[in-house]
Amino acid sequence: MSMDTGDLGTFYRNLEEILDLEPGTLKGGEALADLESWDSVAAMGFIGMAYEKYGVTIPAIRLPECKTVDNLSTLISTR
Amino acid sequence: MNTSILAIECHLPSKVVSNQDLAAEFPEWAIEKIQENTGVMQRHVAAPEECASDLAESAARKLFTSGVCSPDEVDYLLLCTQCPDYFLPTTACLLQSKLGISTRAGALDFNLGCSGYVYGLGLAQGLIHSGQACKVLLLTTGTYTRFVNAKDRSTRTLFGDAATATLLSASAAPGEFRSSFVCGTDGSGAEHLIVPAGGMRQPCSSETAQEVTDDKGNCRSANNVYMNGLEVFSFTLRAVPQCVRQVLGRSGKRLEEIDLFVFHQANLYMLEQLRKAIRIPREKFCLCLESVGNTVASSIPIALKEALDQQRLKAGQTVMLVGFGVGFSWAATIMEWPMVGCAVHTVSSTDQVESKESTPSRS
Repeated sequence: MSMDTGDLGTFYRNLEEILDLEPGTLKGGEALADLESWDSVAAMGFIGMAYEKYGVTIPAIRLPECKTVDNLSTLISTR
Repeated sequence: MNTSILAIECHLPSKVVSNQDLAAEFPEWAIEKIQENTGVMQRHVAAPEECASDLAESAARKLFTSGVCSPDEVDYLLLCTQCPDYFLPTTACLLQSKLGISTRAGALDFNLGCSGYVYGLGLAQGLIHSGQACKVLLLTTGTYTRFVNAKDRSTRTLFGDAATATLLSASAAPGEFRSSFVCGTDGSGAEHLIVPAGGMRQPCSSETAQEVTDDKGNCRSANNVYMNGLEVFSFTLRAVPQCVRQVLGRSGKRLEEIDLFVFHQANLYMLEQLRKAIRIPREKFCLCLESVGNTVASSIPIALKEALDQQRLKAGQTVMLVGFGVGFSWAATIMEWPMVGCAVHTVSSTDQVESKESTPSRS
């Protein structure tokens, strides 16, 4: 199950803040491996964001399954 | 029969490893960013000949020197450590002898890390409430840096060595240490913060000493501590907010009624995420790892002592302590700090004893 368009936009803005990217940068299809600021600290920020803003706890073991930005949003929406 | 904390004392090894020292040794480690995330600027490291019992002995001697009690008044010694001097005998037994505590006293080690101090308070309260002890000396101590591989950025930047001594006593006065305790365990997370070799499951060998470099460039062997930071963080978000809700429920308190929150000082980023998730006001939330790092079981008493020394924690106030980490294990307690007629001894940075008679005033 994926997020609806409005929620996706909010998700991208939240993730942009973690990755220190300009708002509007992310469109969803970006490969995480290509995002220079996607590192272990950003991953921790994503887990924290998932809890704080979406009320879900993400097991860290699920993160390597995510290859794109939209995979991260799906990870949240399916918890 | 209630229980009072009469005194807390700390001991830090003299050797200090600063972030500048680490940056000089490993220029590629991006120390500034690590500092920003961990909140640690320096950590104390035990000397090669120093064991956990040596650090604990120093902390205990400071407590006795303060005059709060003499060694022969202690009738139970609890030692929290994951770095015992030997597999056997019990390190607490060694300390009984070193400190001149009565041979009629009980003494035991319990093996916990980050949750250990809160568990220790609960054990001490149980011993006192059940009439098994009147004066319990709770020691926390560790030489975690001994487990750390010098080339492992994920752990070397974080952990520091320390020991603390807390004296708890039975008290007939009402209103003291009306503590509620909550604890929890999830051993399925054991693999995420572990020293794989050196115990009975996998003794040290030439094989376990083989160093491996992971995909992040961190180097360690099975003889070294391994920590999966992301999994530990995910665990804290699962366990700690719920634990806080449970201990509030058990104590009948609301979050707003807590005057001070002292969490295990894991790392700055994790603490800030927890603070925001639980909605704890910044001014009530203790942060005390900049100059000592993550000292495992000693982190809460070190932060408590600092709060006392800075008068952030006063008599009559309500404090929540939350320990969480290796195991996975967690525990929380809410206590009212000693009221009128109960002296709380703290030792200032110059090691001069200050004995304050507490008052019921609240901030």
